[in-house]
Amino acid sequence: MQQAGASGSEVEVTWEDQQNINKFGRLNNRLHELEDEIKIAKETNENLEDASSELILTDEDIVRFQIGEVFAHVPKDEVENRIEQMKEVTEKNLEKLTEEKESIVSQMAELKKVLYGKFKDSINLEED
Amino acid sequence: MATSASTSASVTERRGIPAASFVEDVQIYLSQTGLDVNSALAFLQERLQQYRVVEMKLLAQQRDLQAKIPDIEKCLDVVATLQAKKDTGEALIADFEVSEGIYSRARIEDTDSVCLWLGANVMLEYSREEATSLLQKNLENAKESLEVLVADLQFLRDQVTITQVTIARVYNWDVHQRRLQQAAATSPES
Repeated sequence: MQQAGASGSEVEVTWEDQQNINKFGRLNNRLHELEDEIKIAKETNENLEDASSELILTDEDIVRFQIGEVFAHVPKDEVENRIEQMKEVTEKNLEKLTEEKESIVSQMAELKKVLYGKFKDSINLEED
Repeated sequence: MATSASTSASVTERRGIPAASFVEDVQIYLSQTGLDVNSALAFLQERLQQYRVVEMKLLAQQRDLQAKIPDIEKCLDVVATLQAKKDTGEALIADFEVSEGIYSRARIEDTDSVCLWLGANVMLEYSREEATSLLQKNLENAKESLEVLVADLQFLRDQVTITQVTIARVYNWDVHQRRLQQAAATSPES
């Protein structure tokens, strides 16, 4: 995990620097959480894709669709609609997550510039 | 660029978590607390440990909440499905798990009430509307608790970062002092 470590220098750390370091830490944590969430969202998307492909192939009229912990007998059309809805929700979610991730990555790049600018070698902001 | 709340300098603690006071100047800090370098480092390390313990606890709570929320959403889904079926007047046929890997078929007739598991071996019967509103309320409470928890964790992590940076600075100051002393000792000219 990225750590802000300072080593053997005489540059003073101001409260503003500390706040920048804190913010960098927070953003980094959020970035890791986002990466996990994006992975899960992508998997869910794939599963839904597979499900709708299977649905097209099957010739049954009633499909067992999981609602909660049980598999309800649902007509094929309704299942198609449901899956479409779920796909839309997941895609929107994925978009939102990806946007947030990009914003965080650029904020972190900014902070890196500022912090490296002041502390140069005394600070390490890379993943180990 | 928005930095973290300027009030964090004056926040002394948050929900039982003591704030790490920011050290403006290492020398002044050491003379104020009257500690020598090693004691100061030991104190800061101990603080760091305490923070880690609290962090573990909060992370566990966060995991619990994050598991609970999809459960409640699933329940809401089921109740909504029963509602939809009622409108069509059909019975709902569902396959449910009797035991691991063994499923059985159930026919759920049109009914106005559902039973909700409240925990502690208690299950209550509710009308569909009451059940929906109860589940909604639980969902909102869980989401709110999660938000507060996430904010707590952020605060905690900030304090950890401040403490880590302070430890590094005290250590560096010490190294710097020793270098100065060595330079003064080895320089024969006054």
